Amino acid sequence: MYRSFLSWRYLFARRTNLIGMVGILVAVAALILILSIMTGFLDASRDAVRGSLADIIIEPNQGVEAGSEVPRDPYELLHAVRSDERVQAATSQLIWAGLITQRGKKLDHILASQGSTANNPILVQLVGIDTAGPLRVTWPALQAAVRTVGGILPDLHVQDEFDTTRLLAALTGEASGPTLAPVENPLFPFAPPSRRPRRGRPKASVLVGEQLFDIFNMRRGDILQIGTIVQDPETGEWPLNNREFVVAGTFRSGQNEADMGRIYLDRGELSDFLGHFRDYTQVLVAARDYEHDAASLTADLRRDLAERGLISEGPRGPYEVRTWEEFRVNLLGAIENERVLMAIMLSLVLVVAGFTIFAILSMMVSEKRRDIGILLALGATPRGIRQMFLFIAFWDALLGSLAGALLGTWGALRIDPLERALSRFFGVEIFNRQVYLFDHIPSIVQPLAVALIVLGAFACALLFAAIPAWRASKLDPLAALRYE
Amino acid sequence: MNTDPTRRDSPAPVVLRAHGIRRAFALGKARSLEILHGIDIALHRGERVALMGASGAGKSTLLHILGLLDRPDEGEIEIDGRDPWACSVAERASIRNQRLGFVFQFYHLLPELTAIENVLLPSMIARGAVDWRRSRGELRARAEHALAEFGLADRMRHKPPQLSGGERQRVAIARALFTDPELLLADEPTGNLDKATGETVLELLLAEQEKRGLSMLLVTHDSRLAAHCERVLTIEDGVIQADSAHPIPL
Ligand SMILES: Nc1ncnc2c1ncn2[C@@H]1O[C@H](COP(=O)(O)OP(=O)(O)O)[C@@H](O)[C@H]1O
Ligand SMILES: [Mg+2]
Repeated sequence: MYRSFLSWRYLFARRTNLIGMVGILVAVAALILILSIMTGFLDASRDAVRGSLADIIIEPNQGVEAGSEVPRDPYELLHAVRSDERVQAATSQLIWAGLITQRGKKLDHILASQGSTANNPILVQLVGIDTAGPLRVTWPALQAAVRTVGGILPDLHVQDEFDTTRLLAALTGEASGPTLAPVENPLFPFAPPSRRPRRGRPKASVLVGEQLFDIFNMRRGDILQIGTIVQDPETGEWPLNNREFVVAGTFRSGQNEADMGRIYLDRGELSDFLGHFRDYTQVLVAARDYEHDAASLTADLRRDLAERGLISEGPRGPYEVRTWEEFRVNLLGAIENERVLMAIMLSLVLVVAGFTIFAILSMMVSEKRRDIGILLALGATPRGIRQMFLFIAFWDALLGSLAGALLGTWGALRIDPLERALSRFFGVEIFNRQVYLFDHIPSIVQPLAVALIVLGAFACALLFAAIPAWRASKLDPLAALRYE
Repeated sequence: MNTDPTRRDSPAPVVLRAHGIRRAFALGKARSLEILHGIDIALHRGERVALMGASGAGKSTLLHILGLLDRPDEGEIEIDGRDPWACSVAERASIRNQRLGFVFQFYHLLPELTAIENVLLPSMIARGAVDWRRSRGELRARAEHALAEFGLADRMRHKPPQLSGGERQRVAIARALFTDPELLLADEPTGNLDKATGETVLELLLAEQEKRGLSMLLVTHDSRLAAHCERVLTIEDGVIQADSAHPIPL
């Protein structure tokens, strides 16, 4: 009994013990706060890594060498996917590699001349997309019209359309800069611009990433020559194809890579450009409840589509239907890695708090030498003395980590108003909302992480207290008892 | 004449017996100084024994050895027919807790505890949390009663620094007696008190010893204190030179 009683008494009799407790408190609170913000940031960057990826990506292997007989057009596959209740929307895309050059330079010339680097062709990603159907496109206008007379039209949910296409969202958003040229009508992005050359046969329109547009000094209505290579079915060779397109406008995805090197055009036009070598390369699927259905939906799609012969069977089969996480598995792994690394580094804060306890208890053992001798004379065992000092660390950990957990969790939940208040108080902006892509400080409190931190605080306190406690139990009581 | 001091010649049973106790302390690396050169003692139930000797004669060293706080280099100790140094650490601690009571010259109270908490400390040490909670009320009442009897009724909630020397020693005596020990080991209990206070404390100590019929070893270098004891041992040059119960023939 005396162990808990005396340790509790010593805890408050000596002010220095409170330092150990406050150390634990600060460490636990800081750990929870920082880890919550880290988790928030990483979660936000997870979104960034996901970028414009759909929930599930289906890429059938259409190569003849694989011996697969999958259909050339996406319609059967789209129909099969859309017939699943868990699928919200699906659309097809055709992605191909292309080359572009500076304005006015003929691609064949440049490839032949091996001239200065300024004329180097640039590799771009050509993305052929299905633009929304006419109803989908006119619906927002109708909604707006009804709203002006005070009515409300519900949002349109047509399963046939892929309404999460971020491109559309990007195009209908605000204009992105003075030098850039948003398309004339975002609802019909590939409509030819009014300032287009009249001569020759009508050219298809493309949307160019805004950075690419800027670097190449383009203007809306310009002719852009795009080259690509497709295998010749007869000769088996890969000759260069050229075609001219009209720049209809720019888009901004916020992702450097896409804005620097992606060109959107109509899927039919791209397929035509490729000589119908491919009609589509992937089908993008949006799930109604991705968090819940991802695994089962992916597995079912793999099986059903393989049974229907829409994707190839065999060893490559699983790779043809992938969730976005499987698609970006390396980047996600890196983020997770970062989180773990961060947690390990931050745990050093706890070690510091543990060391404070170590120092204070060591001091206390020296100071309480006489008390230890008295206790031994009164019938305490060395083991009991050891436990008594461990108890002090236990109280430190208990009170410190409880208060720290409360403070840290509260701080993490209210980080935004807290930061604003602190910024106002000190007159310095702590979190620059311009630098980050977020207008608030992202913060996610994970109960498991809080529990682990508290557990870690206990482990740390007790581990560091073990040394002075052991020393106390080894003290010679007589040296302390003999004199006052 | 019987010259064996450990031989039982009174009907009272032996509470503690020590035989051939030697104890040396290291002085530096190679040298050591032997303080006790073979001590034989038997303490009987209800006996009041004074241990006299000059300062530095080894009185405290012997008392610590008899109190199981220090282990002799040589010799045996027997308490209740058992060798405590052959017992486990816990058993030895329990003997100290249950059978022995200590009173020190410098009181040795825990400064963070109140007077009553100091008195209750041996009982806290003896009990687990559950046991303590069950008997707390009764023990508290007993401690309060004991302190009141010692004239400390209005000092129970005071901490040692707020008490006078005489009051502190009275608390220490109440603590030593609280577990009803068989043997009280008192190391110059009045050595740090003025004459008048020392006398009242001594009277209290002797009265309690008498009343409870316990054995007491009173270490002192003051022959007037020793005069209150029925048996006086004198330690000199590391051995018991004289035992009033067994006068050594010249
Ligand atoms: N731990 C120790 N180390 C060295 N010398 C000691 C130690 N304990 C006691 N002594 C010495 O033993 C002698 C006897 O001490 P002590 O028993 O306290 O004497 P007394 O109580 O009779 O005055 C003293 O000279 C003292 O210095
Ligand atoms: Mg002494």
